Amino acid sequence: MQRVCMGKLMELAQQDSRVLYLTADSGEGGLDRIFRMNFPGQSLEFGIAENGMIAAAAGLSMAGKIPFVYTAAPFLAYRSYEFIRNDICLQDMNVKILAPGSGLSVGQLGPTHHTTEDLSALRTLPGLLVLSPATPLQAAEAVRTAYGHSGPVYIRLGMTGEKEFYDDPYRMTVSGNDTLRGGKDAVAYTTGSILEEVMEAAELLGGDGISLKVVNVSILKPFASEALREDAARFKVIFAVEEHNIHGGLGSILAETAAYRGFPLRVYPIGLSDTFAEGYGTQKEVRKENGLDAASIRRKIREAL
Amino acid sequence: MNGTDARDCLELRRAIFLAGYRGGAAHLASCFSSVEILYTLYMKGVLDLGQWDSRERHDRFILSKGHAALALYAVLDRAGLIRPGRLQDYLKPGCRLGGEPRRGELEWVEATTGSLGHGLPTAVGLALAQKMDKTPYRTYVLLGDGECEEGSVWEAAAAAVSFSLDNLVAVLDCNGLQKTGTVPDIMKAVHWKEKWEAFGWTVRDADGHDPESIRECLLLEAEPGKPSLIIAHTVKGKGVSLMEGNPQWHYRLPNRKELKRFKEELGIAEGEVV
Repeated sequence: MQRVCMGKLMELAQQDSRVLYLTADSGEGGLDRIFRMNFPGQSLEFGIAENGMIAAAAGLSMAGKIPFVYTAAPFLAYRSYEFIRNDICLQDMNVKILAPGSGLSVGQLGPTHHTTEDLSALRTLPGLLVLSPATPLQAAEAVRTAYGHSGPVYIRLGMTGEKEFYDDPYRMTVSGNDTLRGGKDAVAYTTGSILEEVMEAAELLGGDGISLKVVNVSILKPFASEALREDAARFKVIFAVEEHNIHGGLGSILAETAAYRGFPLRVYPIGLSDTFAEGYGTQKEVRKENGLDAASIRRKIREAL
Repeated sequence: MNGTDARDCLELRRAIFLAGYRGGAAHLASCFSSVEILYTLYMKGVLDLGQWDSRERHDRFILSKGHAALALYAVLDRAGLIRPGRLQDYLKPGCRLGGEPRRGELEWVEATTGSLGHGLPTAVGLALAQKMDKTPYRTYVLLGDGECEEGSVWEAAAAAVSFSLDNLVAVLDCNGLQKTGTVPDIMKAVHWKEKWEAFGWTVRDADGHDPESIRECLLLEAEPGKPSLIIAHTVKGKGVSLMEGNPQWHYRLPNRKELKRFKEELGIAEGEVV
């Protein structure tokens, strides 16, 4: 996912000299060096200093540049929250925040490196477009979408090795909701790279005789409600599967949307139940330990139906 | 200070006080501390401003110590850079001119500030853009000394050196006071000159209430590759003896008895204070 983002970013940097790549000692190995080599005047290393980098991105934007800020998601979403709020959102700066390593993708290092409350925190910031791509093609498309959008954007990214579920060439739909799998017995909404667990759970449930519809949400804010309204009328419960606290993330978005728009909906949240994730290991292992792998998702859906 | 400067700065303090008093709230002491610095930047030929509406703005200025907003507005008003009468909108309902500077509400307010520690890193971004665009212009920023307790100031101080921003000039309004006490009491080890020099900045000292002294420092050539800091030695509340150097005046207006002193010292006539 990170690799394709860098590729897309280089493409943009080639086309538009206003595109800048800002990092806080957080580059992506070889590709990062290629970026620096090809665009030395468009890449800026701030050292381990995220807040200063975010505010400087605002200053660059004031002068007409288009900064893409890139560093590990938790240090942006949590440490730099006030800088994102005051410097980027409050002043409507054309700054793109690329947040790799979100969710549990840095499983080996534990909760300081998990990002499981970023959506709750960031989606309340006025004017911030919140994108959450699930696959490499979606990630590249999110970078392109962010470039085309005039204003602040947060892109929640995984790490590497996410499965692809889209066909190339891919264009993000206007709504940002895609049905990746049809189903008549139940529906799961999900966002980000945990999509692959949900797709696998759908396979397993198929074996159990339960046909699960899977909707992937890649634009969390603004959230398009039409598909949800239809699903709410069709299914007695909507499962919201996310690598995030159940408070404030996708499940909350679905519940809020229905409540604010006045249609009945029951959301069954599958995420971290107001807790930090436990355990260490690969992303898949940590998902499993915290009940977010395909088998656990299958079990929770079966129990709830 | 020459006669014109002295008269202008007294007029500025009167304007700040009257707008603040009529508005019902102001950080008067912070404003009075910064009067000569802002006056020198805008009215003594330091800032090369270009056109506000143009993308090609020349020098840039950020008021990082946002509490001095009203001083900035008063200087912009006196310099004829904003619509006449706009200053009287201060804190009036519906008029969009508040206690901290907000981008988009008033011409020449480059950045929204008020939360400390944001102005210098933002200025780093502006100065970087000026360098990238190969312009000869500079970015100026006004910091408070209490503000330098914020960590992000030092992130920016390091970044400015690592990017060789010799077009960045920070002025430190060094009045030694913060909201609840003196900066030396709270920090114990202050040593601004040594700290900024250790970060790689060129540091100069100025009398922060003498426009000539400030101007001389501001117009000095930068050392190649090095950002500049001017420590402007000031008195918080300068111009009204009750306020001078007294932390109790961080955010308050005079009561009836104190008002008499303000009027006497600022030369405000009966009837001007409504």
